[in-house]
Amino acid sequence: MEKLLEVTHLSKKFKDTSVLNDISFDVLRGEILCFLGPNGAGKSTTIHILTAALKKDEGNILFRQKPITQHLSAYKQCLGIVPQELALYEELSAEQNLRFFASLYGLHGKKLSQAVTYALDFAGLSDRAHDKVGTFSGGMKRRLNIACAIAHRPELVIMDEPTVGIDPQSRNYILDSIRKLRSEGMTILYTTHYMEEVEAISTRILIMDHGSIIAEGTNESLKEDIENEKRYLIEVEENGKIPLEEFYSIEGVKSVEIIENTLSITSLKSVENLDRIISLFSVYHEKIKNMTTENASLETVFLKLTGRKLRD
Amino acid sequence: MRCFFTVLKMDLRNLFRNPVLIGYNTVFALLLILIMGFLTSGDYASGKDAFQYYLVTMLIYGMLSGAMTATNCFMERDIRRPNLRIIFSPAGSFSVYFSKTLASFLFDYTMHLLLLALLCPLLHVTLGAQPLYFLLLMAPVEFTAASLGTFFCCLLHTEEAASTLLSMTISLLCILGGTFFSLNGMGHILSMLSSFSPVKWLNDAFFALCCDNSQALAVPVAFGCLIFSLLLTAGCALFFKTEDYL
Repeated sequence: MEKLLEVTHLSKKFKDTSVLNDISFDVLRGEILCFLGPNGAGKSTTIHILTAALKKDEGNILFRQKPITQHLSAYKQCLGIVPQELALYEELSAEQNLRFFASLYGLHGKKLSQAVTYALDFAGLSDRAHDKVGTFSGGMKRRLNIACAIAHRPELVIMDEPTVGIDPQSRNYILDSIRKLRSEGMTILYTTHYMEEVEAISTRILIMDHGSIIAEGTNESLKEDIENEKRYLIEVEENGKIPLEEFYSIEGVKSVEIIENTLSITSLKSVENLDRIISLFSVYHEKIKNMTTENASLETVFLKLTGRKLRD
Repeated sequence: MRCFFTVLKMDLRNLFRNPVLIGYNTVFALLLILIMGFLTSGDYASGKDAFQYYLVTMLIYGMLSGAMTATNCFMERDIRRPNLRIIFSPAGSFSVYFSKTLASFLFDYTMHLLLLALLCPLLHVTLGAQPLYFLLLMAPVEFTAASLGTFFCCLLHTEEAASTLLSMTISLLCILGGTFFSLNGMGHILSMLSSFSPVKWLNDAFFALCCDNSQALAVPVAFGCLIFSLLLTAGCALFFKTEDYL
């Protein structure tokens, strides 16, 4: 597939804090590339640099093999950006909002009207076209927020957590719409915290943490690495009675982590060792309050790569 | 250029639909002129003279307060977020800050012209033998005030900080410039301080036009305002940071 966007050695510092450390990646034409990462991972900073709203310290960004800074206006013309916050005029109607934002991309006359009709239809708001945005529900506003970014049919749509705080119905509608945009030939760069969204729409995933890309691949290929593993989450009344070495002495156990009163034990899927693990708790008179087993999921991959420690 | 005018049209639309700003630039100014003129009418040879004085000084105060229209137009919460989309679009950041300056100028100028159209015949006050000169001189002053408001937003990044600082500065300069009461009879020091206030220069220029039919001060004031506006707009380009919207 053709490379639509090529990002190489991108770095950014805010004062003395490095938020992006020499990251490189490509966005291929027609894909839905999802950025996953905990808070402060550098996702939004990357997005803001790609939208040319934030200056990079180092690195190159090529759009269709040309540096974006040399053809900034042409580059922006090809972009559709869905910001995390609702960027709409509440006092205006949905149609007036769309008409205004689409006209900023040089559309006028019949083309503008067609773009507005297309975007209203996309957002499922044709019947509320003339109502003030201020009277809309959260989900409707979110849909309109996306519609304002795609009315001019951009080549690359950049979405920064576009489904924050909406009901499941609106979320499903938006996810279906994103797949529809891809089928219409648009390329989508999507950031989110929600694993299920990534699993539902992504064609490729980049996982970021501490300003670096720590994993890259498809939903399936990322899971492959840990598909031969399972994880036991055992909640106990009081941690620390059992020396961790005891767990490592059990066949198949690869790692043990303690998070407050929960032990997270990663083991090979092929080895049946649960009875031996549980028996350790009996030996040390440690009472088990709850126990669950996790198989490979994107969330497991994500937590394995980024850790379970709470972030700011 | 088409993008710029699209943004300008939207900014004007937002301003002319804002009842608070319309009220502040018309009803509030009208009340200030009427109340101040009425309360001080005993200090002047005739009531008409009091209204003549306060029409000019309060109008200048209103024109300078137009800086707050610009801060509101630029960074008011509901407008700030859609501005982000303008930054993302090919229209670019110049359209964001300069359209706010231009829209605020056009809005304030229109409001103050309407105010004059109402008050001049009502209070029997004059704008001089050539009222057009008076009206023309208002334009660069209004534009400077709008540029000042936009510049403070670019510099301080928030509407609250920009409006508070501007409001205090304008009020202080107006007090020193003799807007509310003349400082000439209050001793040597106050009189000297007064002469340093640009508001005093504006008062002198406008009074020279309407009372003495003299344009001697109008030309330097107009040019001074235009040069200052250009510097402020250049300052906007320097201090405007798209990051503030992210």
